[in-house]
Amino acid sequence: MSLLEVKNLRKSFRISDSLGRTTGQLVAVDDLSFSLEKGEILGLVGESGCGKSTTGKLIMQLLKADSGQVFFAGKELSGLSSRQLRSHRKQVQMIFQDPFSSLNPRMTVGAILSEPFVVHKLAPAAQIRNRVIQLMEKVGLSAEHEQRYPHEFSGGQRQRIGIARALAVEPQLIIADEPVSALDLSVQAQIINLLKKLQQDHNLSYLFIAHDLAVIEHVSDRIAVMYLGRIVELTSAEELYRNPRHPYTEALMNAVPTPDPSHPRPVALKGEIPSPITPPSGCHFHPRCPYADDHCRRSAPNLVELGKDHQVACHHHQQVGKYLIREK
Amino acid sequence: MPSRLSVENLKSYFFTRSGLIKAVDDVSFSIEPGETLALVGESGCGKSMTALSLLRLLPEPGRIVGGEIHLDGKDLLRLPASEMRRIRGNDISMIFQEPMTSLNPVLKIGEQIAEALRLHRVTEPRQALTDAAELLDLVGIADPRRRLRDYPHQLSGGQRQRVMIAIALACDPKLLIADEPTTALDVTIQAQIMDLLLELKQQRQMATLLISHDLGVVAGNADKLAVMYAGQIVEQGKVQQVFTNPLHPYTRGLLNCVPRLGQKQDLPTISGHLPDLIKQPDGCLFIDRCPCPCTQCGNQAPAIEEIEPGHWVRCWRH
Repeated sequence: MSLLEVKNLRKSFRISDSLGRTTGQLVAVDDLSFSLEKGEILGLVGESGCGKSTTGKLIMQLLKADSGQVFFAGKELSGLSSRQLRSHRKQVQMIFQDPFSSLNPRMTVGAILSEPFVVHKLAPAAQIRNRVIQLMEKVGLSAEHEQRYPHEFSGGQRQRIGIARALAVEPQLIIADEPVSALDLSVQAQIINLLKKLQQDHNLSYLFIAHDLAVIEHVSDRIAVMYLGRIVELTSAEELYRNPRHPYTEALMNAVPTPDPSHPRPVALKGEIPSPITPPSGCHFHPRCPYADDHCRRSAPNLVELGKDHQVACHHHQQVGKYLIREK
Repeated sequence: MPSRLSVENLKSYFFTRSGLIKAVDDVSFSIEPGETLALVGESGCGKSMTALSLLRLLPEPGRIVGGEIHLDGKDLLRLPASEMRRIRGNDISMIFQEPMTSLNPVLKIGEQIAEALRLHRVTEPRQALTDAAELLDLVGIADPRRRLRDYPHQLSGGQRQRVMIAIALACDPKLLIADEPTTALDVTIQAQIMDLLLELKQQRQMATLLISHDLGVVAGNADKLAVMYAGQIVEQGKVQQVFTNPLHPYTRGLLNCVPRLGQKQDLPTISGHLPDLIKQPDGCLFIDRCPCPCTQCGNQAPAIEEIEPGHWVRCWRH
């Protein structure tokens, strides 16, 4: 049994004008299915508007899906009462992009980190302080920081506080939504290493959401590539790097700037990202795709199994790879 | 023949209530026509303050306290304020990370481009709009005549950045300062904007100062680079030189900690964090984070030194 299983999940938002009249519909997540095993890191990668953050919120049950199901440890989540939901959220925690806006500026770090213990009644009052200090040390903060406020910390330290808060309830799954994209390079590497170490020490599972393919590829065991609400390719990190089968994956790989002046410059994908309110017909990617033909304009490809654990949604997946640039 | 832009021993200090902050400390570099110099470093290292110094637009309580800035031989620090105003937006233009905050949300983009044209060149309004449409076409916006009537919120992030570039190019600047021009954009759009900037630079022989924290973007787009740390340039050279033979431990650390496609091993990190800029130590500013400091590093600050032609480093133990 998978730790997390998502089946045919769909979520749309109503678009309304200034008078509140419905003018359209934005399908943020469309027929999404994937699973996540215990101790696994699944990366979700895609550009703005592809639905990756919505997916995270749907799993947290912070948003209600239109249809489809989310199973956590075999249990379906949509029917849970609010009390059961609270215990679900103890199993699943979230880390955000901007740690500053997710920390209460008027609480000390000690108070922020004691809260989960109090809310979920995880430790007797006398022990809470000890547990908080243990947590702080686990994420690389020193105990003397306990009485400080969030504004006294650097971005990287704040992210450590966010991670400590998520770990407080000893979750099984952590949804990390762009956890390093607001950080400086040297700090980004520290936080990535910390997240990987914690994952190994506690056999955690991560749903790691990011737009940076190099970061995703570095941390993840498996990767799902999303484009305008749909998964277009899903496979292991090695396979995705070695053998991308979707033209969008190929384009993303070509677009990653390599810190090496002898490497060819990134090849730009033509066109803009279409609005998810008016997505293109057929395969959503066809207006930007170098392989597209009439068939792609008319019918959307299904996600099909190519071989062992490699799924792709493309009519022309055999041809993909023609335009891939590789290091010499 | 003088360089297009030459900056010598620039010092911009901030006189704050809690003490003196040397935001830009003894910075020197030059850029030739058609050349791109990248200024690289992490937040707070002084790269944006260097750019604002060039425009003489330092925020309070910052002041340029020393050094020289020459644009085509003209000393910008000695110009009267009125003349400096003519330089900004005309000889030197700047584009920013977040185009939405630099565009006026209640003005049509055609008016915003035309405004730049009218302020610096005497053009009649109708001509200004025609020129604006031409500029939009130049930066790759389809159907420019119709787009002139759009408001910024009707455009995507990439298109807004193209509009910003059009405004920046309106007066054919000699120097373009691009402060993290693609950081807020999606990767596939980022590549488009960098291609556009490269093409325009070659066409117009502009000198470009590219400010970026992304070493990948720098490697593909700059000719020279200067790495800044705590207000100082710690290493400077041609992109090829610095990337293949980084001499400063900070440069090496930065290059090592970038995740690269196809590599799964743990990322080497730079330990510690930026020093307190108010209570600066006597010796090297990088000493607390350096993997192999020696006693000299603690006693005396290293000067920047040329190791091979065009390749400079500020380190005792390079």
